Amino acid sequence: MRNIAGFVRMAAIGLPFLFAVSAAEAQSGPPTAEELAAQINALKQDYEKRIAALEAQIAAMKAKPPAAAGKAAPAARISRRTGDNSFNPAIGIVLNAMYSEYSEDSSGLPGFQLGHESERPDEGLALGHSELTMSGNVDDKFRGNLTLGLGAHENETEIELEEAYIQTLAGSGMPDGVRLKAGRALWTFGYLNEQHAHADDFSDRPLPYRAFLDGSYNDDGAELSIVLPGDLYKEIGGGVFRGGDMPFGGSETGREAYSAYVRLGGDLTADSALRVGAYVLDGEAVNRAGGDPHGHEEEGEHAEGEEEEEGHEEEHAEYFSNGSFAGDTRLFGVDFRYTYAPTGNARERELILQGEYFRRSEAGDYTLTEEHCADPGDENEDGVIDGGETAHGHDVCEMEAETARLNGDASGWYAQAVYKFMPRWRAGIRYARLTPPDDAELEDDDLSTVSAMLDWTNSEFGRVRFQYNRESFGEERDDQFILQYVMSLGAHGAHSF
Amino acid sequence: MKRTVLAAAFAAALLSPAAADAEVRILACEPEWAALAEEIGGEDVTVHSATHGRQDAHYIRARPSLIAKVRRAKILFCSGADLETGWLPVLLERGGGRIVQPGQPGHIMAADHVQVLERPEVVDRSLGDIHPGGNPHVHLDPRNIAVLAEVLAGRLEQVDPERADAYRQRLASFQARWADAMAGWRERAAALRGMKVIVYHKAWVYLLRWAELDRVAVLERVSGVPPTASHLVEVLQQVRNSGARAILRAPFDPDDASEWLSGKTGIPAVELPFTVGGRPEATDLFSLFDSTLALLEEARDRS
Repeated sequence: MRNIAGFVRMAAIGLPFLFAVSAAEAQSGPPTAEELAAQINALKQDYEKRIAALEAQIAAMKAKPPAAAGKAAPAARISRRTGDNSFNPAIGIVLNAMYSEYSEDSSGLPGFQLGHESERPDEGLALGHSELTMSGNVDDKFRGNLTLGLGAHENETEIELEEAYIQTLAGSGMPDGVRLKAGRALWTFGYLNEQHAHADDFSDRPLPYRAFLDGSYNDDGAELSIVLPGDLYKEIGGGVFRGGDMPFGGSETGREAYSAYVRLGGDLTADSALRVGAYVLDGEAVNRAGGDPHGHEEEGEHAEGEEEEEGHEEEHAEYFSNGSFAGDTRLFGVDFRYTYAPTGNARERELILQGEYFRRSEAGDYTLTEEHCADPGDENEDGVIDGGETAHGHDVCEMEAETARLNGDASGWYAQAVYKFMPRWRAGIRYARLTPPDDAELEDDDLSTVSAMLDWTNSEFGRVRFQYNRESFGEERDDQFILQYVMSLGAHGAHSF
Repeated sequence: MKRTVLAAAFAAALLSPAAADAEVRILACEPEWAALAEEIGGEDVTVHSATHGRQDAHYIRARPSLIAKVRRAKILFCSGADLETGWLPVLLERGGGRIVQPGQPGHIMAADHVQVLERPEVVDRSLGDIHPGGNPHVHLDPRNIAVLAEVLAGRLEQVDPERADAYRQRLASFQARWADAMAGWRERAAALRGMKVIVYHKAWVYLLRWAELDRVAVLERVSGVPPTASHLVEVLQQVRNSGARAILRAPFDPDDASEWLSGKTGIPAVELPFTVGGRPEATDLFSLFDSTLALLEEARDRS
C-alpha cells in the first residue's frame, strides 16, 4: 500500500515536470518571458491541484492502516492481562465529607416522619456518603450497575445498597427509544430523584425531598420509559414497585406501588433549554415506620417533654412525626429545569433555574407506639442508672399503641437559582417550603429553609462547597453552616441535562 | 368512554411509525461535521449540529432537544476520541435508535477513520482533561475532511441506498472542489511554513502539522484548566525571544491569558474560527480554511 502511494506521489511530481519541458520545447519560435511565466504558472497550478487530489487519496489510503495499527497496539499492550480481567466493569468512586455547625441542638421536620436519610449530617467533621459504583455492559442487550453508599453514623459504618439494576441497551431488540430498567434504582420522579446526591447543586436535599421521599425514592421494581419521536422532546414512562421505600414501607405483596410520568423539553434559543415534567407515585404503605431508631428516640424524648407542657396541641403532630402510617398514599410532583449560557459556552457562564412542587394525598391510619412505665420509675430516677435501665426495660414498662385516622395531605416545594459567574465558581440560592398536614394541628404551620451556597470546581471531578441554611419553623431558627467537598475518581458517568 | 377513546388515540399515536421521513436525518456533534454532511447529503438530508461555532463541544449538556434529535437520527457524526464523552453517552442511551449505536452504519466517529495524534502514553487525571483516545480535533487538517467525506458518503449509501447515486455525485463534486481549494491552501501554507506560534489549548495540532507551523508554547499548563499567573510568567520568559508570530486561541477559549501575553510581548493574539461558524466569515468548510489562513497571514505580516 505504502509503495503504491509513494509511486503515485513520485509520478505526480515527476510527470508534470517532464510535461512542462516537452511542452516548452514544442512551442514554435522563442517564447517571450511573459509567455513562459504564464505557462509555468498554469503548470504550477495544475500540478498543485493534482498533488492535492493525490494527497487526499493517499491520506484516505493511509488512514486505514494507522487506524488499524492504533487499535492493534493497545491490544498488544493488554495481551498480558488475563481474559477475565479485561471485561472488568468500570469502577467509580465518589468521596464526600463535610464540616457542619448548627445553632440548634436538634432538628426535625414537625408534622413529618423524619427518615434516616433526611436527617441533617452529624455536627462537626463528618463523612458524608461515599459511593462506589460498578457498571458495565452485560452483553449486547443489557447493561448492569451496582452502587453502594458508604456512610458513617455515630461511629458505625453503614453500607446502603443504593442501586443495583439492569437496563436494556438501545438496539437490544426493543423498539427505538424504549428502555426497560429493573432492580433497585433511583427511579424517575421529579428532577433530583434520579441523580445521586453528590451531583446536586446544594449540600443537602431540599425540604420536600426530605419530608416526602426520605432523600430519594430507590425502591425495588421495574420501570419502562419511552422517548417518543418528534422534534419536541417527549418522554413517557411508568413503573411498578415493591413499596418498601418511603413514601411507602413494609410491603406485604411485594407489589404495592405504581408510577407514571411525562416529560417535555426543548431548546428555547441556541443557548437556553427547558425541561418540564409531571409525575405520580401511587401505592399502599403497609407500615411506613417513623424513620430511624436513633432519631426516633431522640425525637420522642424531646417531643414528650413538650407534650406535657403544651398538652393536646402537639399530640397529633406526634402521630405524624413518630407514628407509623398504614394506608393509601399518592405523591404528585411537577418539576422544571432551565439552563442558559449567556456567552453560548456553558463552561464560562451559566444560569440554572430549577424548581419542584410535591403534593401528598393520604387515606389511612397513623399508629403511635409509646413506652409507658409504671411507678417504680421514681426509684430509677434517684440515680441507680444501670440497674434501673434493666428494670425499666424488663419489668416495669409496656409498649402501648394508639391508632388514629388522620388526614396526612401535605405539600412542599422549592426553587433554586445557580449561577456560574466565572469558569470555576458558582453561587446559588434556594428557597424551600413545607406545609404539614392540617391534622397535625401545628400552631406555626409552615417550615421553610433559605439556603445560599458558593462552590469552586477545580475540574469536572472535584468540587468544594460552602453552604449556609436557615431553617425556620415559627419562631424557631436553625442556622446551619456547611463546608463540603465532593470528589470523584475513576469512571465518571456522563451527566444528564 | 372518554377515557377509552383517549387511551386508544394515545396508543395509536405511540405505535404508529413516524410519518415516513422523506429525508435522512443527521445529527452532527460539531458544526464542521454538520457542514460536511450538508455538502454530501444536500437536499436529501436534514442536518442538525449539537453545538454551535462558539461552543466548546467538550462541555455542553445532554439537552432534551438533543435526545429528541438523536432519537430520529439515522446518522450520528462526531469527532470521537472522547471529545463528547460528557454528554454523548446519555444521548445514545436515552434516545439513540439502533442504527446510531457504536458499530452500526449510522455511527461515525471521525477519529476512528484518520490518524490520531497525541495519543497519551500516560493517562492520569492529574494531567488535566486528557483524551486517552488522542487529540480529537482532527477536522483542522483538510486532508482529513476529504477522508471523512468519503466515509460519510459510504454510510449514506448504506443507510439510504435509494439515493446512493445522488450521494456519490455530490461526493465527486465536493472532492473536486476540495482538491482545488487544497491546492490553493497548500501554496499559502507553504509561505507560512515554520512560522512559530503559541497556542492557548492543544486544539490545533492537526492544523499545525498540515501547515507545518511550529508550536513553541501552550498557555494551558494542564489541559482544560485555565493557566495560573505563575505559569503565564514562565511562558512569558520562554517566548520573549522565541520569535513567535501569533498567539492562537479558539472562539470559546478565554481571551484574558492570550491578551495579557500579547500585551507583554507584542505578539498578536489571534482568534481563529476553529470551526464553521466560529467567526462570521467562516460560513462553510471552504471559508473556514480560507479565513484561518488569512488570519495567520495577517498575523505574520503584522509582527
